[in-house]
Amino acid sequence: MNKKILILGVIIVGITVTIFTSFSTSSETVNLDMGRTHGTISTSMGSPILGNPSAPITIVEFGDYQCHQCNNWYHNTKPSISHDYIETGKINLVFMDLAFLGNDSPKAAQASYCAEDQGLYWDYHDLLYNSQEPEIDGGWANSERLKAFAFSLGLDMDLFDSCLDSGKYSKRVQYNIQQAHEHGVKGTPGFFIVGPDGQQQIGGAQPFSIFKQILDPMI
Amino acid sequence: MTQAIKLVFSHSTYLAISFVIFASMLVGLLLLSEYIFLEPYVVSHLPPGTEFGLLLIVILSALSALVIPMNIFRISVLKSSKQKMNGSIFGSMIGSIAGACSCGPIGFALISTFGSIGATTTAFLTNYETPIRVVAIAVLTVTYFTTVKSLKIECKVNS
Repeated sequence: MNKKILILGVIIVGITVTIFTSFSTSSETVNLDMGRTHGTISTSMGSPILGNPSAPITIVEFGDYQCHQCNNWYHNTKPSISHDYIETGKINLVFMDLAFLGNDSPKAAQASYCAEDQGLYWDYHDLLYNSQEPEIDGGWANSERLKAFAFSLGLDMDLFDSCLDSGKYSKRVQYNIQQAHEHGVKGTPGFFIVGPDGQQQIGGAQPFSIFKQILDPMI
Repeated sequence: MTQAIKLVFSHSTYLAISFVIFASMLVGLLLLSEYIFLEPYVVSHLPPGTEFGLLLIVILSALSALVIPMNIFRISVLKSSKQKMNGSIFGSMIGSIAGACSCGPIGFALISTFGSIGATTTAFLTNYETPIRVVAIAVLTVTYFTTVKSLKIECKVNS
């Protein structure tokens, strides 16, 4: 009897430790706020917030993982914004999908949310932009490659494969695309800078100087 | 060769046409390719790795501004055939639409309006942007030399 209780106790403690460890080592929070809005945009189905969640200013980026200009912005403008504003807690950023460029775009967006399930949305997001190849639908973002990216990040592949193959986040991506349509976003990347006094739209992969000119007076 | 150019561009009308073509093509393509932005502030931007694309746009605009007025001159003044005009317009058109349909408003509108056909067209024009522009420049170059040759014959211009 005592032996059974001991084994049961060990199992319970093991499960508790595993759950605690998995939550405490997670590098980001999962977006579970179904009522989240930034300005007039419903970002409830968008990415987790990058940066200080209570920052007064938010950049909402609409992008496509196959878009070359999004890639330009990611590599040329975003690092300065991250360094000067996000890492200092002045602003935060939310990514919304406007996955329209090819057949692989919606799947790549869905894959990012499958990675979010395991707490690695932004790592996966970064990996996609760092792995982008010039050809749209050229195979670099097909299902096999998306799974390979997940594997390289050490994600649980059973969970990831089942998430991606089932199209679990198909409607989530469609919702984000719908938000882009409703807010007049006519290309990627498209941005809204949302502050306490309203929101300003910026179209295209604009340089850091433009973001700085808009952000500095708002801070 | 230079005399053929002098003959056409000594007329202020053709010089003006050339300037309008160059300016409108250059500004239009720079806007579509996101080298310049007008809103919220006017700014130019040359991201690393896009220098060759900019060079192709400048060459394309310059060649269009050179070849199209020369052919207009041939047609209106010399009453020549319109065959070479078609070549210059074709070269300018395909060079302009290549890359213009990427992630920007034109590509978005094309895909939103025409669905999968628009998406396929957009993907093709984006994937082959550089080769298409190079072909367009080649077409315009060939058209330029054949136009100069025609002008020499038709106007008895000595090179």
